[in-house]
Amino acid sequence: MRQILPSLFLEAADSDERFLVLSGDHGYELFDALRSRYPDRLVNVGVSEQSMVGIAAGLCRTGFHPCIYGLAAFVPMRVLEQVKIDLCYGSLPVIVLGDGAGLTYSVLGASHQCGEDVACLRPLPNIAIYSPCDAHEFRACWSEARGGSHPSYLRIGKDHPDDIHSGPVSGTSPIVVSEAAHASSRSVIVATGAMVRVGLRFAHEHGIRCISVPRLKPAPVSLIPLLADAQRVAVLEEHVSAGGLWSLVLEMLQSAGTMQPSNIEPIGLRDSFTQTAGDHQHALSEHGLADGQVANRLTQWLQGSLRTDDRG
Amino acid sequence: MSDAAFDPGILRRHILSMAHRGRLAHVGCALSLVEICAALFGGVMRYDRFDPLAPERDLLVLSKGHGVMALYACFRELGWVGDEDLRNYLVNGTRLRGVSEANVPGCEVSSGSLGHGLPVAVGMAFGLLRLQSQRRVWCIVGDGEMNEGTMWEAMLFAAHHRLANLTVIVDANGFQAMGHTEEVLRLEPLVSKFTAFGFDTVECDGHDMSALAAALDYGEDEQHRPRALIARTVKGCGVSFMAADNRWHYARLNDTTLAAALEEIR
Repeated sequence: MRQILPSLFLEAADSDERFLVLSGDHGYELFDALRSRYPDRLVNVGVSEQSMVGIAAGLCRTGFHPCIYGLAAFVPMRVLEQVKIDLCYGSLPVIVLGDGAGLTYSVLGASHQCGEDVACLRPLPNIAIYSPCDAHEFRACWSEARGGSHPSYLRIGKDHPDDIHSGPVSGTSPIVVSEAAHASSRSVIVATGAMVRVGLRFAHEHGIRCISVPRLKPAPVSLIPLLADAQRVAVLEEHVSAGGLWSLVLEMLQSAGTMQPSNIEPIGLRDSFTQTAGDHQHALSEHGLADGQVANRLTQWLQGSLRTDDRG
Repeated sequence: MSDAAFDPGILRRHILSMAHRGRLAHVGCALSLVEICAALFGGVMRYDRFDPLAPERDLLVLSKGHGVMALYACFRELGWVGDEDLRNYLVNGTRLRGVSEANVPGCEVSSGSLGHGLPVAVGMAFGLLRLQSQRRVWCIVGDGEMNEGTMWEAMLFAAHHRLANLTVIVDANGFQAMGHTEEVLRLEPLVSKFTAFGFDTVECDGHDMSALAAALDYGEDEQHRPRALIARTVKGCGVSFMAADNRWHYARLNDTTLAAALEEIR
């Protein structure tokens, strides 16, 4: 997913002379292609994420189309109030890219991990929130964000080399990535971002429906009819369930005037910081979200026997 | 430019009347700004008095948003807001609020949260410079606001990128919400600090119109440094019982205090 960023930057710069990328001294070689063709289109503002958001707002107000890049733990988390006041309040079309969301930066610990960004941004008016699962969804989200007249946040989670989709996707609404093998199947996995991969693998193995949700705000309401016949739903995300996709599904069901299905299982980050060193799977394991743990939890969920104390 | 007079006495009367009508605090920090705003609108800034959104206008960013009544008073002289707006200040459902709001033509940013206006102004100046525009950016900040780290981040950026089209005006009235700036969190020497951060820095009496006009006169700096003016002001200036009395950061005017204040400003 992340590997297409350099080409997205280049395409945007080619087609739009007002396109700029701002970074708070993060990104390493991500901007090399952009810098070699357009040396002045990458502005490294220094280690000053907060003023970077204001500077982007000022650039936007003088006719530029800025994209702010940072690690999700810093952009948008550290700069949440700048996003609220400088971008959302005036509804400025600035793109906010939060890289390494979730527990991607496992070895660096809590300071660099970010499992709360979606929950923090969802209450802010005017901002669109995207959580793509692969390069195809990323391109669709980027394209929609670039065309928007309001701020957008793109959450870039743990990168996996393989795409989920076999080709371009047409939009950012919920996408069925695996259909139920049997018409009688009433269990559905709903997932976003990096967790689509593990959800999809399980869905294939068990012949159940799996839906990817690339856009989290505005609310992906077309998800609700896709759940109409479900008896139980598992919601997978590398983000705290409270305030994330799990909450969003519950809210949308309530707003739609239905509480069916009533069994909505949260499979997301726990209400805790990771405690020990280790790789990404290890960090996830502290939250019961390592690949094998998720498969076990989904197996129990499928059997309808998930015990309450196992829940995230 | 404008044929409006921007008489400081008239501007102060507008501010006092608005604060009274709206039962709004922050009278003192609006009164300290009056001559700065009068100088900017009275000849320093380039703008179209008949169109606050004219494309080639200079941009005035009130980073210390709480002083917004001083801007509204100037807008009243320009006809950008009417007597009705002032009379109904802060009445339910009206458009003028208690801090700078970008949706009011003439206010370029929403800035009540301190430490936001200067970074945005710096982004504007950076954008205008990239466009090779002759437009300038004027940013009024509070001395208390200089406690915010984002101000110093933005100053580093402004100097690094040689934003000679940016002027930061510090309304140095010596007070912040809870006391003297030197007692709360020492700021001085402000001139050397701005200079050390790469600004072409001058200092003047912030209530002396001719000194302000001279200090803000925009000469070319060979080093293309951004400019800073430390305007030494008095919080509550113009009303004897408000001057340098921080109670007027919070106090509301009643009929008696309004009459007494207006009596002093003729």
